[in-house]
Amino acid sequence: MNTPALDLKQAWVSRELAHDRQLYRAQFSPDGRSIAAVGQDKLVHIWQLEGGENKTTLDAHRAWVSSMAFHPDDDLLFTADYHGIIHCWNYRDPDKGPRWTIPDADRGNVRALAVTPDGHHLISAGDDRVVKVWSTKEGKTVAHLKGHAECVFSLAISPDGKHLVSGDLLGIIRQWSIGDGWKPVRELDATLLHTRGEDFLADVGGVRSFAFSDDGKLLAAGGMKEAQSNAFCPGKPTVLIYDWASGEKTSELGINGKSDGPFNALRFLGDKFLAGHTEQLHTPSELAFWDIDQPEPLHSLKNHSAYDLSLHPDGRQLLAPCYVSGGSTGNGVRDRKREDYTPNGSALRIFSLFAKPENKAGG
Amino acid sequence: MMDPNQYCQPHEHAMSRRKMLGVIGGTAGFGSLLQPAVAEAIAKKEKQVCLIWLDGGMSQYESWHPLPDSQFAGPFRSIKTSVPGIHFSELMPHTAKIAHKISVIRTMATQDPNHSTGVPRMQRGDPLNRGVDYPYLGSAIAKLLGPADPALPPYIWIKPGNGGFIHHEAGFLGAKYGALALGDGRAPIHIHRPASISADADAARQALREKANERFTAYRGAAEIDAYETSYDMAQQLMARKDIFDDSGLAPRDRERYGQHPLGRHILRARGLLEAGVRFVKVSSHHWDTHGDNFNMSQRLVPQIDQPFAALVDDLDERGMLDDVLVIVMSEFGRSPVINSRLGRDHWPDCWSLALAGCGIKRGAVIGNTTADGAFVDDEGYDIGDLFHTIFTVLGINPRRAKYRHKGQKLAIANDECRAIKELML
Repeated sequence: MNTPALDLKQAWVSRELAHDRQLYRAQFSPDGRSIAAVGQDKLVHIWQLEGGENKTTLDAHRAWVSSMAFHPDDDLLFTADYHGIIHCWNYRDPDKGPRWTIPDADRGNVRALAVTPDGHHLISAGDDRVVKVWSTKEGKTVAHLKGHAECVFSLAISPDGKHLVSGDLLGIIRQWSIGDGWKPVRELDATLLHTRGEDFLADVGGVRSFAFSDDGKLLAAGGMKEAQSNAFCPGKPTVLIYDWASGEKTSELGINGKSDGPFNALRFLGDKFLAGHTEQLHTPSELAFWDIDQPEPLHSLKNHSAYDLSLHPDGRQLLAPCYVSGGSTGNGVRDRKREDYTPNGSALRIFSLFAKPENKAGG
Repeated sequence: MMDPNQYCQPHEHAMSRRKMLGVIGGTAGFGSLLQPAVAEAIAKKEKQVCLIWLDGGMSQYESWHPLPDSQFAGPFRSIKTSVPGIHFSELMPHTAKIAHKISVIRTMATQDPNHSTGVPRMQRGDPLNRGVDYPYLGSAIAKLLGPADPALPPYIWIKPGNGGFIHHEAGFLGAKYGALALGDGRAPIHIHRPASISADADAARQALREKANERFTAYRGAAEIDAYETSYDMAQQLMARKDIFDDSGLAPRDRERYGQHPLGRHILRARGLLEAGVRFVKVSSHHWDTHGDNFNMSQRLVPQIDQPFAALVDDLDERGMLDDVLVIVMSEFGRSPVINSRLGRDHWPDCWSLALAGCGIKRGAVIGNTTADGAFVDDEGYDIGDLFHTIFTVLGINPRRAKYRHKGQKLAIANDECRAIKELML
């Protein structure tokens, strides 16, 4: 069977998994056979993609689960929550509890996790501003990387496995060496993604997402610029592209459509194309695809707000945990009945990045 | 000159309530407004109010009513407070320590989900429609109780942005009951007499101005002149009391305890004004309308009220003032249980929380039963009219007997279909 050619302009939703609570992180497993997703309901949800919708849950968190990362080789999944707890799971064995737990990985929310390509180290970062390195085997402390002045939202590891980047609320990106003493290397300026208006009560924005190009030559940092207040927090979704060798910012990408939230997720599709997803209050947002030589997307798909993007190992499918309104969003209960007032939900949407096969009637 | 049809309290701004009570011997002349026993108490100590207004609406789930195991809970923990069995959000650690000094209502049900109509409704107390523009609470108290210290304006509003004399809150009472606003808590400009003008010259200028006003007023409506005159009087008062804006004596420790953010600085300023004897101080803060990024924002905003509110209540208590100063923390509504597409919470008037302390309010009480998920009132909810009845009552004003009089019409000071919340009062 021929594999259809990658064609971002023909991307379509090829599969959708519904969930009754809001999910904020979702990733394909390294073998592409499973999806893990986490969010408000404190559970870790595992869907097996083959053989029907076989779903299991891992239950140990007692707070919203805010970040996750798969081990590249073993059947291990790392998840972390708003209370600073990290669990390591064998996600193929849902009946067992966590393999190990770090009870105090952060004084608050662990906002990002990453695993080094060799699988030896788990990196965490969040509210306490310290990037922390742990052994993946036992969850033992390896290093504490200090330097951020505000909470850290995002982490990424260069494809060669030699460097780590961390991005914070103030729009500061710090680069650290991996393994070699875990030393600070340099700082990149993404302060465009941070806003503190004169009358704001809080800093708004930050580096919410990263992506490296497959060849490691480009780094993309996502967020939003020009936030107008700390209440609605509306801004212009923005991606900054850096030349990794020089650290120079080379371009700024935006969207054509209407979205007022940050890019929470970015994924390079090879070396030249980038996908990103934004949020929008109450109305659909968009999944955008760029040729990074052009400031505006080459294609966009209108979609519910989404908070993560994961690329399938086949490089041809993107997964996004998308917001689905339960019908109760908005101001006050108004004419709704109390019993109909329910939380919003999610749809895990898989976008196939090629033309939809023709439906051969009767075939 | 007063509008003869406009009922006024038996006092004028030139004479304090304390002095007047001394002159007329207790309750004489106050019968229509004050319960005798309360009036006697007032004669001993002035009642004062500090209203802290979080404009836009603070999330009850991220503050007073966390319910961490409910379907609408946010991601934060609940923590124990100084009152066994009562829990607040972990974002309120300072207030949790003084929970035994305050009361929380968890079942405010205030009907209006809009800012534009909700703010005036809440600050006017939603009186039944009498076809008049009712005063906001600060102006109402300025009218009903007058200045606590005749040398100070009765109503000062500490707000973000610019200051000035803001008359629109006075409604039908007339501009003179408006608020003297301190932009960013700063002293009004022009309270320092220029060195080039001597005290005698200044007094002569004032006399000339008053004379001119008298002539002008004799042929025209008095309302505008009243407001104009009031603002001049206030300026004169403040020129004589510049000391209340002198921060040089503030302990660094106090600045730290209240916080260096605007609410911290402004509530610390409010403490000074209350100590000086200002009857009603409003502190307002904007940008609590967290439709977007509610949890990141609450993490940063809620501590900005937690810290100075707890410090204020503690300080008033330590100074022996808490029994006579009513402190209220509120907004026009709470925030929705349901979390929207931008991880925000929308407006929620249907069941939300506010806090009060001092001046006849019970200590360590939580009022109201909600459904298990906190979304709705389970039995009896309280509207703003109930809160206004409560506020007036603890200040010694009988909300059923006291009336405004406007153009010959007697007007209730609070919604007469509502009642004081007895469960909240000592």
